[in-house]
Amino acid sequence: MSGYKMVVLMKQVPDTSSKAGVNPDGTVDRARAKRMMNPFDKYALQKALEVKKAHGGEITVVSMGPPPALEIVVEALEYGADKGILLSDKRLAASDTLSTAYALHMVVKHVGKVDMVFTGLQTTDGDTAQTGPQIAERLDMPQVTYLEKLEVKDGVATMQRVVEGGHQTLEVPLPCLVTVANSAARLEPKRFADVFAVKELIRDKAAYDKKVTILDLDVVGANPDRAGLKGSPTVVGKTWKMGEIGGSCTMFEGGNAKDEVAELVGKLTADHGAILEEVLP
Amino acid sequence: MSQNIAYDVALVGASPSNLTLAHRLVDLAQGPIRIAILEKGKSVGAHLLSGAVSNPRVLNKVFPNWKEDETFPLEGICKESYVTFMGAEKVEDAPRFAVPPHFKKEGYAILSVSDLAAWMADRLTEKAAAKEGVVVDIYPTFPAKEIIYKGDAVVGVRVDSTGDNAKDILHAKVTVFGDKGFVSRDLCDKFALRKNPQVWGVGVKEIWETEESYEGKVWHTAGYPAQPGLYGGGFIYGCKHNKLIVGYVCALDNDNPNLEPPQLLQDLKKSPWVQKMLKGGKLMRYGAAVLPEGGYYSLPEKFAVAGAMMVGDALGTLDIKRFSGVDKAMESGWIAAEVIADALAKGDTSEAALAPYKAKVMDSFIGKELFEARYFKQTFHTYPEILNDAFPAFAAGVDAGRGLFGGALAFGLSGPFRALKLLGARGMMENPSDRGAVAYKEDRTYPNPAYKKPEGAKAEGYDRKTVFTTADIVYYAHTHYEEGVQHIDEFDKNVCYSCINRYEGAGKRPPCVGDCTAEVHEVMEINGKRTHKMAFENCVQCTTCEIVCPPKNLRVNAAPYGSGPDFSNM
Ligand SMILES: Cc1cc2nc3c(=O)[nH]c(=O)nc-3n(C[C@H](O)[C@H](O)[C@H](O)COP(=O)(O)OP(=O)(O)OC[C@H]3O[C@@H](n4cnc5c(N)ncnc54)[C@H](O)[C@@H]3O)c2cc1C
Ligand SMILES: Cc1cc2nc3c(=O)[nH]c(=O)nc-3n(C[C@H](O)[C@H](O)[C@H](O)COP(=O)(O)OP(=O)(O)OC[C@H]3O[C@@H](n4cnc5c(N)ncnc54)[C@H](O)[C@@H]3O)c2cc1C
Ligand code: SF4
Ligand code: SF4
Repeated sequence: MSGYKMVVLMKQVPDTSSKAGVNPDGTVDRARAKRMMNPFDKYALQKALEVKKAHGGEITVVSMGPPPALEIVVEALEYGADKGILLSDKRLAASDTLSTAYALHMVVKHVGKVDMVFTGLQTTDGDTAQTGPQIAERLDMPQVTYLEKLEVKDGVATMQRVVEGGHQTLEVPLPCLVTVANSAARLEPKRFADVFAVKELIRDKAAYDKKVTILDLDVVGANPDRAGLKGSPTVVGKTWKMGEIGGSCTMFEGGNAKDEVAELVGKLTADHGAILEEVLP
Repeated sequence: MSQNIAYDVALVGASPSNLTLAHRLVDLAQGPIRIAILEKGKSVGAHLLSGAVSNPRVLNKVFPNWKEDETFPLEGICKESYVTFMGAEKVEDAPRFAVPPHFKKEGYAILSVSDLAAWMADRLTEKAAAKEGVVVDIYPTFPAKEIIYKGDAVVGVRVDSTGDNAKDILHAKVTVFGDKGFVSRDLCDKFALRKNPQVWGVGVKEIWETEESYEGKVWHTAGYPAQPGLYGGGFIYGCKHNKLIVGYVCALDNDNPNLEPPQLLQDLKKSPWVQKMLKGGKLMRYGAAVLPEGGYYSLPEKFAVAGAMMVGDALGTLDIKRFSGVDKAMESGWIAAEVIADALAKGDTSEAALAPYKAKVMDSFIGKELFEARYFKQTFHTYPEILNDAFPAFAAGVDAGRGLFGGALAFGLSGPFRALKLLGARGMMENPSDRGAVAYKEDRTYPNPAYKKPEGAKAEGYDRKTVFTTADIVYYAHTHYEEGVQHIDEFDKNVCYSCINRYEGAGKRPPCVGDCTAEVHEVMEINGKRTHKMAFENCVQCTTCEIVCPPKNLRVNAAPYGSGPDFSNM
């Protein structure tokens, strides 16, 4: 096959624009919460699509999560990915990043020889940004984080990554793993024909099964003792609530800027005076 | 070469009319059928906004168990309805005997049409999945851009623009437009279907969470804040969970080039009566949409051409006299489904095969009620004194404590001729004898630079936290535009220059600026020239600006990628 063989790691996360499923204590009830594709992972998918457009190849999207996560795998096909794999297994419950990276790297190995692995920068729920780099280590691949631009030629990738105060250009031999920055190009909207094709695919079971598979730990040859709760040394000591999603909007319309600012300061002092006293000299 | 994207039926707009059509068509299907639904919103309902208090007569047919179904998004059942005359200070309910029967809304459903459509789409998907051979594919974020013809027959619509027709065009044996005219106006233009133009009103709406519950109460208001000469009225609907809908609708065939619909609604809220309801409440949502008000005489000559039909507001089934749009839109979809099922069974979707649609619509309650209401809209033009003198006199009577009756009496006493006129107007609206066809003028011919706004009564003493500038209220429409989307065409900037000159010269803003519901249009000084500019990202896609632009210099297109407002719950 010509072109590059690519894997994009994508996670389904709770929809942050929705309050549904947020428990009063701030934890998330994943069964009730609305779900979405981790927004950071869309940049990763876009990068893979760019490579495919320029050089051809095949993109396999891999996600780990409960069965509903299949939604984002199928959605990725609508954006132009070729294949999808969902790693879903009850024994994966309560995975931390160590065990998540272990399980995911086994899936990448299961896919076979790949040229590039793309991950998002971080997720909007776990937010650790650890998974990508850990997988690279386990796959023994060079890794480039915060990738913005990428060009590949003759097995070597020229990359631009964001660093504090500027950019850095690197040359990296393939295969490699990159985590894509959210300042990279946005994911291009779905095309009508691609969405149509996926709808037809879902109705054609034989063709669908060739493109989309749900795997468990045994199939990818992962050791169950290193996955899920058993394989997760991280202990969540305590969670606490920092504030509310949303809230209300108050308009200050004193008629002129001076009155409006006075009104605003008055309200802030009344509502949060104690905090102000702490932080103000 | 790849194969064409093809379905039996393409529905443009996941609208109440088209979703009813799809449900009926799936119910009627005796073999395989493929239906595609295009919707420009990011999800079904995202671009749908209505009141809505609706006669559930079609709902009952499509979903016999909707009342028992816990998943049905019911906002309430109307228990008490009022027609209320507003002064700036006081209000008075019209006595029950004087309320026309069609404004007695008791027993009607209070609905969020946006949520209703989303619910109908979910049920439709389930229904289709359970029936062998039935395919219903819903495509949110994909608007129809252009109608595709083969000769004079419609063969589908262009959806995408990759440049490869096999990827871009949705082919169908029948294409049905329930799109409020977004693309179907091109169909009407191509075949000169409307001998009389459609005329429009614009409605703005807010949802509030209030301290007290008004569940089941429905008010339709006249008088304040309409300036003399303005055909407009408010609606206030009490819903479950302390939700209160407050809205205002006004006609666009008006001399005033700067109607500022969102501010009319703010004025309505300043009334002490509304203030009492909003006290301690919180604004949740804002939005706007237009209503086709022409009724009977704006209906097109043909309701279908070869391969295509129109339903709902796109066709013009709304009945402004009864304030009934949802039920009539749904009924048109119901009827269209039966005609399509027949046509597909016979393998003939020619104009002749689809022609029975018109006769059936005109024979249904849609045609009967539109016919009965055919002079309603025109009455206000034939008798300008209703809006210029009578309503202001009533409102003054209410404020002065003489009551509605006192106001009417004072108006009548000021000249018997005027009283007679009022009776004549009432006859024309309620019990018309035939006076021949009515010819409407396009709304855009009305805005007059020389218009002088009459001084109307102003409400005082309201809570400033309950009223908003238009720039602020737009926030509550939750618009989101994909980067780079510019969905409104301005055809000729020189035309704008002279238009701006004309209106600004008379101390007005051009109509696009003065009537926009979301502060999209503005006039800016650029290189020493007063220039028309647009802030697309505010737009709620109501199309008002296009309707009122005097030289027809604008076109509001369906924006791609689901860009636009989020009207869920509206
Ligand atoms: C302190 C802590 C407590 C936790 N507690 C629990 C718990 O109680 N229950 C539980 O189920 N989990 C728990 N987790 C697991 C956490 O949700 C996983 O570690 C998560 O899958 C990866 O971490 P992240 O979300 O921070 O991803 P990041 O490392 O921020 O993600 C980087 C990138 O890696 C890829 N990626 C990450 N996760 C996946 C995935 N699942 N599938 C495909 N690609 C992926 C994506 O491309 C993503 O953009 C906990 C984690 C931590 C750190
Ligand atoms: C403020 C207001 C209050 C109202 N109150 C009431 C009331 O109390 N009772 C009542 O019965 N009626 C009321 N109406 C009227 C009622 O809302 C309409 O008559 C009814 O919604 C018409 O339904 P429709 O099926 O024609 O679809 P429409 O409401 O016209 O919906 C059109 C749909 O098509 C989509 N669309 C448009 N163009 C495209 C395109 N090119 N491609 C894909 N999709 C497209 C739109 O996004 C939308 O979803 C009110 C209307 C307004 C504006
Ligand atoms: S868009 Fe129309 S109304 Fe607005 S300035 Fe131009 S010509 Fe005038
Ligand atoms: S720009 Fe036009 S379509 Fe958009 S909100 Fe304003 S009036 Fe409506």
